[in-house]
Amino acid sequence: MNLWIREMKAHRKSLILWCIGIVAMVGASMSKYAGLSMSGSGASMNELMADMPKSLQAVMGVGTFDLSKASGYYGAIFIYLLLMATIHAVMLGANILSKEERDKTAEFLLVRPISRSQMLTFKLLAALTQLVIFNLVMLGSSILLVNPYSHGESVNQDIMLLMVGMFLLQLLFLGIGLAIAGVSRYPKRAVSISTAILLFTFILSIAIDISGNIDWMKYLTPFKYFDAKHVMYSGGLDGRFIGLTALILVGSLILTYVGYNKRDLHV
Amino acid sequence: MNMVLHELKAYRKSTILWTCALVAMVVLLLSMFPTFARDADQFKSLLQTMPEAVLKAVGVQIETITSILGFYAYVFMYISLCGAIQAMNLGTSILSKELREKTADFLLTKPVTRTQIVTSKLLAALISLLITNVIYLAASTIMVLAVKNGDFEISKLMMISVTLFFIQLIFMALGFFVSVLVLKIKSVLPISLGTVFAFFIIGMLGATTGDGAIRYFTPFKYFDPAYIMQHASYEGPFLWLGLGIVMAAIVISYVVYRKRDIHAV
Repeated sequence: MNLWIREMKAHRKSLILWCIGIVAMVGASMSKYAGLSMSGSGASMNELMADMPKSLQAVMGVGTFDLSKASGYYGAIFIYLLLMATIHAVMLGANILSKEERDKTAEFLLVRPISRSQMLTFKLLAALTQLVIFNLVMLGSSILLVNPYSHGESVNQDIMLLMVGMFLLQLLFLGIGLAIAGVSRYPKRAVSISTAILLFTFILSIAIDISGNIDWMKYLTPFKYFDAKHVMYSGGLDGRFIGLTALILVGSLILTYVGYNKRDLHV
Repeated sequence: MNMVLHELKAYRKSTILWTCALVAMVVLLLSMFPTFARDADQFKSLLQTMPEAVLKAVGVQIETITSILGFYAYVFMYISLCGAIQAMNLGTSILSKELREKTADFLLTKPVTRTQIVTSKLLAALISLLITNVIYLAASTIMVLAVKNGDFEISKLMMISVTLFFIQLIFMALGFFVSVLVLKIKSVLPISLGTVFAFFIIGMLGATTGDGAIRYFTPFKYFDPAYIMQHASYEGPFLWLGLGIVMAAIVISYVVYRKRDIHAV
């Protein structure tokens, strides 16, 4: 328990900064929407967009979202919120383990009367708590800031569903970060490697958007698991991808526990 | 000179990796162009049946965006994102690593002034970025020539690609600036990633909503490919703004680094 409190304190500042970032981000984008909704786009425009091939939509940056509605606009910016959340999660996961070696505090921690598994569990709990806080702040600020622009359209349900998807991805990337820091023999590089993976999957999701004929690759990039379009317009979170997320998460946690219990710590 | 060589050696692996990543990215994304162009052609024939008003509103936009240059400009947005991360990482770490790895007292007892240290580190970072850019420029040009479906002006392509270097310079200088101001940087990546993504997202928001003023706040939008494609030149105010930021950041870095306390171990 002490370890949990210690970790929460150690990450307090960064978590507060992230939360300010979330509110600023959602606030700024919704205030931009106020300017956008004034201009309004004609119905024929929307029809035309609907006929466009998917790849062209992606490049023109509109997607299938109806930007004249607050929910559509929120869906369009959701990918950036998701990017923020996953960066936070993957860096947190990699950092929370590898910092002991980076800051040369691993010896101090490991001579305490706790097993490595116990240590991992408390660190995992601390990280989990932070993900929940991050997600709740995102949910709260989204609901508070989107509703004023919604003109009576009910957006809360969409937002909540999207947030569940975001939380699953946060868990997934936390797992990946932990696994890399747990297994890698070069803890200093754990954060760089895990962010590289994150960036790679993000770029891959963009490639899928503009290509249009490599849809099977969407299993490879978590950014496509709970696509905002799919979640909002065609029936919520996809069961297959929830299963896949759970599988990757469990796999990476097993990897973390097994790998970290066995490996040499470099101090 | 020794310092420059030493830094170049220390960053050799990271430079190679980043260069490979950028080249791989441009190859991957540009290889999608042929299918994209085919989709777009079908859509364009559909567009002819639309009322004239609609055609006027989006016709030009679609025409540019489906050309090879327009497509490249879109792809380039993400490449500049990665390039910016590389540059900011490099700029932030190259000075601060001496402190972090406790080699600062070793370096500072050598018969060189702090100004010389900053100069050689800057030079090393600059060379590393230059190498990346030259290779990227060659790779992207070859790739564009390989997938193009019509004629285009190669000088404009070059002008767009070179803005990668400008953006990297700005972020490198920013990183330098941050690294002399912050007392102790425990880990570089969160700082550089945070800054770069914040600017990138500001830029994307500006693009989604079509707000002009927001462009001044993010280096990613200083060099607009659409403007370059039309006028074959850069936008003056933004060029000067970028130059101003780089100069200011570097000058302040020199002044601060000469005076600041460096803790030995």
